[in-house]
Amino acid sequence: MALAGYPPARHILSDIGVHIEVTSPTTAAVRLRATPHIAGADGGVRAGVLAVLVDILGGAVALRAVLPDWMATADLSLQLVGSATGPFVEARGAVLRKGRTTLVIEAQVANVDEHGVEVVGEDGTSGPVALATMTFAVLPGRAETSMLDVSDEFPVRSALLGDGLDRPVVETLAFRVSDAASGTVTLPVDEYLANSFGAVQGGVVALHADVATVAALEAAGDAAPGSVMVDGLQVAYLAQGRVGPIVSATTVLAPVAADGPGSAVVELIDSGSDGRLTTVVNVAARSVGPGSAHVRASAGASPADGRG
Amino acid sequence: MTEPVGEPVGGPATTTDPRHHVSEYFRLERWEIPPPPGSEEPSEFGGRAPVDAHLRGSGGGLRIGGILTSVDSLGGILSGISVRPQWIVTTSMMATVARLEHRGPLRLHGRVLRRGRSSVVSALDVVDEGWDDRSVAAVVMTCAVLDPGAMDLDFVRPLSLPMPPLDPDAAAPEEFFCIAAGRGPVTRLELSDRLRNPWGILHGGAVAMLADVAACRAVESARFPGEGGPVAAADTVLHYLSPVKVGPVEARCQVLGHRFDHRVVRVAIHDVGAGDRLCSLASVTVLAV
Repeated sequence: MALAGYPPARHILSDIGVHIEVTSPTTAAVRLRATPHIAGADGGVRAGVLAVLVDILGGAVALRAVLPDWMATADLSLQLVGSATGPFVEARGAVLRKGRTTLVIEAQVANVDEHGVEVVGEDGTSGPVALATMTFAVLPGRAETSMLDVSDEFPVRSALLGDGLDRPVVETLAFRVSDAASGTVTLPVDEYLANSFGAVQGGVVALHADVATVAALEAAGDAAPGSVMVDGLQVAYLAQGRVGPIVSATTVLAPVAADGPGSAVVELIDSGSDGRLTTVVNVAARSVGPGSAHVRASAGASPADGRG
Repeated sequence: MTEPVGEPVGGPATTTDPRHHVSEYFRLERWEIPPPPGSEEPSEFGGRAPVDAHLRGSGGGLRIGGILTSVDSLGGILSGISVRPQWIVTTSMMATVARLEHRGPLRLHGRVLRRGRSSVVSALDVVDEGWDDRSVAAVVMTCAVLDPGAMDLDFVRPLSLPMPPLDPDAAAPEEFFCIAAGRGPVTRLELSDRLRNPWGILHGGAVAMLADVAACRAVESARFPGEGGPVAAADTVLHYLSPVKVGPVEARCQVLGHRFDHRVVRVAIHDVGAGDRLCSLASVTVLAV
């Protein structure tokens, strides 16, 4: 099932590279390859990118579940329970509740091989590496929904495969840390990171909060640069970020200790839309020691250094 | 699900009105903060709750089930008043916990982030007033807007509900919330009338407390031999999927992983007497303390 014209030829979802499999009217699985360009301080896929994966999954399930209506993500939670080291990472989800105005979906994320078979970790265990839930608001149907090619034979397989990332995802998306201490990170808006409404894709919104929290917590505490990773995201989507740049403001609730958790609240403002508050994100994070695989936004980097 | 408040505002706290049992148990004081004159923004709300000795968990402070009960009570009034003459029920809470150890009292502040036709989203912050206002938790709460029917929603504004007095014979949380003693991955709650809200269903705070207790018990049972010590629930995401009407209620836990000093528990809450219907789903982070 695909929406005509979306995503465009060059898009973050294609460059991350996702395989989508809708397995029933209420279930789906979405898989991506774990690469260093999307890794966090622990070497696994960072929480913000897992949120992108989960949001795609939720969309794939919800879109079919609400037809002929449409939907938008209202909230998303993600809690890491292990390192998403791959070689592939797969999110599997199902509808928990379908109401008149909302739809709730639960998902679990696991390390898998290229065929979607779960792999055993270095510690000899397998199982989920993240637990996620999403709520979607059901919206009146759009003209585009009547153009959807909906098959009732399962599984329905599709893929979004682009050129791939040639540098860290936070550089590709042109996140710019303008003030680490306040977790102020700006993100320009264009079709490369847009959802079907032309606003910032829901998972990218979560990634923005991930980047802002890492910057703020590394500035606030004793954590070594490159050591902080986000392991919990609670995202409330209030309005679409359509104009941009989107600017984050981060309040540190507790700085990270040597091996203890920290937390923050990130608010995302659409500076081009009268400073509208678009998103509030509660974030949990911790330090995992110096992280060679850690990928961070480059402080002071020009947006022009990113996608263009 | 959140309790509407229907008593004469500012009147004495009562222990006979079943609508107030749960918030009174945590002795939550609540006050309305009206917007500036001429503003169409909804009121904000403040709250204060002591950390009484019998309410402290193994983390040293008010356990997260208690914090979420107070958040549900305050956020329910905040959200409900913002959509009057309609009212609300809570559909989800997402809480990030900054600190488990509290001196108290805790002070809460709530503001509406978004009011729509069918839902209200609010943010509630909890700080430790007795410990230099340091952060305790941040919560985002979502409510569905409903027709209140015949429910009495007359208030004297601005609303003010004083702190109920300390009951020297107050029961421990497990006893108050009718949570059966036990251990292992399944924890049961009996649906007492005092735990119902005015909609006649199990109070959202009771669901939160059940998730807290059940997740901790599940982790304690799942630990490796020799891995002892107390645990405490922290970050919690709770989705209220359908109302609990009949009972008994079972919280069925799955410990999903062990990462650093914490485990994450999936808690599925079922109304056994209503065809074993799945009513709530929670994910709870449980920390070794």
